[in-house]
Amino acid sequence: MAEETKKERRPLDPNSAKYKLNQIAAKAYSDAAEAKARGEMVGWCSSNFPVEIPETLGLYVVYPENQAAAIAARGQGEHMCNISEADGYSNDICAYARISLAYAKVKDSNGGQEMPQPDFLLCCNNICNCMIKWYEDLARQLQIPMFLIDIPFNPDYEVSDAQLAYVRAQFWDVIHRLEAFTGKKWNEEKYKEVMGYSGRSSRAWLRATAKAQYEPSPFNGFDLLNHMAVMVTARGKKEAAEAMELLEKEYEENHQKGESTFRTEEKYRIMFEGIACWPWLRVTATGLKSRGINMVTTIYADAFGFVYDDFDGMVRAYCNVPNAINLEHARDKRVKLATDNHIEGLLVHTNRSCKLWSGFMYEMSRQIGEKVDVPVVSFDGDQADPRNFSEAQYDTRVQGLMEIMEANKEARA
Amino acid sequence: MNTAELFEQFHKIALNPRAQKDAYLKDGEKVVLVTYYVPEQLIHAMGAIPFHTYGGDLPVNEAKQYFPAFICSVMQTMLELGMRGTFEGCSAIVIPSLCDSLKCIGQNWKYAVPSIPFIPLTYPQNRKPDYGAAFTRAGYERMVRELEAATGLQLDETRLKESIRIYNEHNALMREFSALCAEYPQVTATQRSDVYKSAGFMKKEEHAQLLRELIACMKQEVAQKSSGKRIYISGILADAPEWNRILEDYGLQVVGDDILACSRLYRDDCRMPEDGEDAMDALVRLYCDKDHCSLLYDEKKSRVEFIVQEAKQRKADGVILALTKFCDPEEFDNPMIKDACAEAGLPCVVIEMDRQMQNYEQARTIMETFADMIG
Repeated sequence: MAEETKKERRPLDPNSAKYKLNQIAAKAYSDAAEAKARGEMVGWCSSNFPVEIPETLGLYVVYPENQAAAIAARGQGEHMCNISEADGYSNDICAYARISLAYAKVKDSNGGQEMPQPDFLLCCNNICNCMIKWYEDLARQLQIPMFLIDIPFNPDYEVSDAQLAYVRAQFWDVIHRLEAFTGKKWNEEKYKEVMGYSGRSSRAWLRATAKAQYEPSPFNGFDLLNHMAVMVTARGKKEAAEAMELLEKEYEENHQKGESTFRTEEKYRIMFEGIACWPWLRVTATGLKSRGINMVTTIYADAFGFVYDDFDGMVRAYCNVPNAINLEHARDKRVKLATDNHIEGLLVHTNRSCKLWSGFMYEMSRQIGEKVDVPVVSFDGDQADPRNFSEAQYDTRVQGLMEIMEANKEARA
Repeated sequence: MNTAELFEQFHKIALNPRAQKDAYLKDGEKVVLVTYYVPEQLIHAMGAIPFHTYGGDLPVNEAKQYFPAFICSVMQTMLELGMRGTFEGCSAIVIPSLCDSLKCIGQNWKYAVPSIPFIPLTYPQNRKPDYGAAFTRAGYERMVRELEAATGLQLDETRLKESIRIYNEHNALMREFSALCAEYPQVTATQRSDVYKSAGFMKKEEHAQLLRELIACMKQEVAQKSSGKRIYISGILADAPEWNRILEDYGLQVVGDDILACSRLYRDDCRMPEDGEDAMDALVRLYCDKDHCSLLYDEKKSRVEFIVQEAKQRKADGVILALTKFCDPEEFDNPMIKDACAEAGLPCVVIEMDRQMQNYEQARTIMETFADMIG
């Protein structure tokens, strides 16, 4: 019997963007762990909470969604879900929440991703209301305070004055309550600095992701799913801004040299919809790559690019994240990405964990497909619970998508 | 009418919302569909009839084009009824954005049921501070503007005060009825459910009149001996006929509830606005002061203790958590409620429910065991 030989991984160039981004993502956890060990307070923070607030106040925060994704990607999602289900949580609840509630209880991810326990919680529901329920349970379980910025789902295309006033008032309220709780002070100069880095990171990130407009794309879209961790956790830091600018530069150089991190011929270009299927990342990536399909763009990655010029602009930016906007606005953002990046098909992840993302996706993806004139195919999966995905279904759906794209190519040839 | 005849009257209305709606439309009334915490007093004051919808017990076919299977059956069947034309003739539907599925149904509604305008109602979760109240008010004003366009009716401040009074009076009657059900074991689960359900399909003053008569008749009766199986129920809905039959078959007496479509809607009265005071502000406060609901931000989870206290106060022998499948807000609260009941020595059971449930055998078996346990 032949022994399986493992491919040696090439060591990463320490000057590469990928190396630096990995370091920044890892440092976010180690910095918080060291702070906790020193006796400083650490917060758990939702992914679309305005990072500018803890960053300006000099608070250490870690991100349970990011942790849950890492735990799931490292094969521990089911283990953690089982723990919270044994406590009575339904397996219909978001798997990130189930993993996080389990981690708050057992404080061990079984080799997934460790992080320090929280002294306070920063919650923002612009991504979903499930986030409120999840953090309420954490607050009660751990007996710690929760700071909520409620950013309502906007049924209109534009952010109204009433919504702006409501959300702005909450930003200041949370800042003042955090000052009182942590003893740290808000500093305008520091805020401007953070805003500057956040803007630089965001602009560079969006310019980098926009390099997919080149044909072939200078990168494999799955790269974005890894790099966005830095956008989630560290976009207000100088190192993040510099690393993102380096990433943009590398992608441009790839294009100039005719290279790509998509290391096979790019036969088809698609847009991916939904959160990554973390427990099956390799399977979902291979299913595309083996057919020469490059996932060149996804709103999920661009969601973490926040571009604004002042405090109100920041408030508006957080009101306009993908899950907080109405169908027409959400559709138009995707149509722009699809058009700019010349996609030929749309692959939709019907994510069992995410009711908000999937709840009007059927209609929205129909409309996107019609407007951009591309085929739309969906598959069932989950962002972190491996039990809600079928490899066979995924493979059949992707094959179907490829065949339609191929027929379209031939018809247009 | 005697008690039995009055209950029969409520039963007919609870079972035939469509006939009720069609009769109102025939009389030239404007009917507006509402769900969850829509401020009905505003619609009432405009001269339209707020008409409840929490879906129905029916299979989902058409709505599958819009919703994946893991969205709760309340949303699925609301959309299904809309697509099947059951609501035809209604002027609009007002849907608040209090959970992720409620956010989604409105977006789908625009395309799935274009004949009935969707009016969004965006509520704040941070509702206690002044800025939360200001945002609530902006939401109400927008709702009124869109309702005026949809119905051709106008809101009038004087009528709003009268509507608030009518609703408060009805709330009080509903609470009195609930308390009476705890004292009169002969009231069946179906009869109790019918009173709550029919309240959503009638003008409040009409329902209040019928309820007043019922309460008077009930008070004339002698309370029968209790089965000793007094239960308190919590959840979003628990009105399926088969479910009520199960409770009756095992002699389970509903002595109180925290069901959203039942008691949660009638718990809080609006403070009567004083002379010169803006009536809409009073309604705003009604929402902002609301607590103990899975859909409303509750940092301290005060709802958990609230349920235990209510169950004890009603001398319940056990608590049933009627869990609407795929309802996030309830699913997150339930483990803590269950633990708190256990600590308080209250037997507690979770039963998953679904608008599309065909087979109640599992629920029946669980309830049979539960009835034995608490009896």
